[in-house]
Amino acid sequence: MSENIISVNNLSVSFDYQENFLSKKQQIKAVNNINIKIKKGSFFGLVGESGSGKTTLGRAILGANKISTGNVIFHDDDRDFDLTTINSKEMKEYRKKAQLIFQDPYAALSPRMTVRDIIAEPLEVMKITNSREETDERVRDIASKCRLNLEHLRRFPHAFSGGQRQRISIARALVSNPKFIVADESVAALDVSIQADILNLLKQLQHELNLTYLFISHDLSVVAHVCDIVAVMYLGHIVEMAPSRELFSNPKHPYTKALLSSIPSIDPENKSKAIELEGEIPSAMNPPSGCVFRTRCPHASHDGKEANVEMGLVEVTPGHWVDRCGVNCA
Amino acid sequence: MVSAMLQILTKQNIKTMSHLLEIKNLDVKFDTDEGRITAIDNVSLKLDQGKVLGIVGESGSGKSVTAKSIMQLNPGNTIYNDDAEIIIDNENVLKFTSKNDLKKIRGGKVSMIFQEPMASFAPAIKIGNQMIEQLLLHKDIDKNQAKQISVDMLNRVGIADAEKRFNQYAFELSGGMRQRAMIAMALSTMPKLLLADEPTTALDVTIQAQVINLMKDIIKEYNMGVIFITHDLGVIAQVADDVAVMYLGSVVEQGPVNEILKNPLHPYTKGLLNALPDINNLDAPLQPIPGSIPSPLDRPSGCVFRTRCPHASQDGKEANIEMGLVEVKPGHWVDRCGVDCRKV
Repeated sequence: MSENIISVNNLSVSFDYQENFLSKKQQIKAVNNINIKIKKGSFFGLVGESGSGKTTLGRAILGANKISTGNVIFHDDDRDFDLTTINSKEMKEYRKKAQLIFQDPYAALSPRMTVRDIIAEPLEVMKITNSREETDERVRDIASKCRLNLEHLRRFPHAFSGGQRQRISIARALVSNPKFIVADESVAALDVSIQADILNLLKQLQHELNLTYLFISHDLSVVAHVCDIVAVMYLGHIVEMAPSRELFSNPKHPYTKALLSSIPSIDPENKSKAIELEGEIPSAMNPPSGCVFRTRCPHASHDGKEANVEMGLVEVTPGHWVDRCGVNCA
Repeated sequence: MVSAMLQILTKQNIKTMSHLLEIKNLDVKFDTDEGRITAIDNVSLKLDQGKVLGIVGESGSGKSVTAKSIMQLNPGNTIYNDDAEIIIDNENVLKFTSKNDLKKIRGGKVSMIFQEPMASFAPAIKIGNQMIEQLLLHKDIDKNQAKQISVDMLNRVGIADAEKRFNQYAFELSGGMRQRAMIAMALSTMPKLLLADEPTTALDVTIQAQVINLMKDIIKEYNMGVIFITHDLGVIAQVADDVAVMYLGSVVEQGPVNEILKNPLHPYTKGLLNALPDINNLDAPLQPIPGSIPSPLDRPSGCVFRTRCPHASQDGKEANIEMGLVEVKPGHWVDRCGVDCRKV
């Protein structure tokens, strides 16, 4: 039995892109040569700006995106699922064990279904329960775990606020008794007072139900608070990965440093000393060769600038991985 | 005796010094199929030239409606109260009805930057033409001059290749660039008052840092008054001089930004700060504010926050306290109920 629940090995995901029907087909590498291991029971954070490939990586791990090269392995108690060789019957089995919570609780719930039906749908589709009584039992059980009022199960989603809707989404994701959850920007659409409530709920459910999370977010302060280990993505690559305290107190890669310094401080006297990055994230169609960050790096080494350094994570202290180029230039 | 005289003198000074913007007793209601909704309840705000007033609050707190009222951009079913005043340059803009008068404020004296720059540019018109169009509308200049001003402005906000961008469409620019173009367009008519409605919310943090720095420079350079609306207390801390905290259409606390964020008194302001994950203090637990914002259709009577207040006084709970700001320290105003319930 492995201590990891997910192993991602040299994973790349590319999309075909054609500007118009005459032009040549291009490949966009959204996710590039990713290696991560997610430990059982951990809260794994994935941060990065838009276009960094975090959602694509999350979806690839769930088998919702095609894997171009490399593989993803899900270690269940008694067997492993390799997503590159899995057949459709096994995929159905996998879907019961790995689930997704979406970003926008307004778009994720069908307005024409009652809350009970929304939460029960996965059970019916996956044929997990055999009778209506059993389904109702499971729905009520998970709804109360997600702190939903059982009287609300008969209502439609429009009657609920953003926070309550997100709790419905969480209940639906958890009803099939999964072990691994991908939470893709699951608190980004919520107000701060409600965001805190949902984060606390996710934490509590993790302990109660023995869950492992892949938590995707662009909000570094949220990630710092809830995650045990954090990977920072930039343009399809992981540039730094470390236990969360270590990463936030001792960032090594210049991109991580810039990201952290960009968070506006809540203290008005602490006026921002943001390391300003020049320009914007380059297009994934045409990523820089060598280190992908070199075009914006405030202190790139000579080798880095000339793209002589290949991307690749190096372990600088136990558990703290930094991209090779970032180690040199820092 | 002398000090009393001085007090009178300074009071007179304050009276004669007119503010750039003064909102007095503003109520905004919307007539909907489900009934009359109170969006803003008795809001009064003041803003001087060269100052940034931050308005924070969660969704539904009435931040955007306040800003839109200043430009009279609220929809047709809006009802303002009769004694409300929004005074810009000694004129009550709420009394404006003719197109010419409205033109003076919309894009003239007042400009607005919206949250989603993609939605605020017309998709099928070149950015340059949109900039020229509004300049010709507000200034007595010809097309060439307008183009010159626009290109200069695009340069000023840090858009490389301004001439080329001038002839492009909004979809050809990246998110950060679009927001810069939006700022350039809003500033090109040299407004006295800038309304920025969540201008950095849709941007990534590194781009947000760029845009905030740019806005700070420009505010200083042009000495404008700015109303900066956001739900992000960190952004407020970095840009605002004063801050007003709104909840369900009412201002519950108001004052200098340093004072409000370091010494918050109203339970809602405190709740917001406690719910915020602080990267410098990872051990602090996240404390949500219990309950959720009530629907504006059944807005609580008395103190609007009483349904969620963690330590409401008996009077507060029973809605015996009328809303109203009280000055607890010079410049620091807190809603009456928020002052009382703390003592319990």
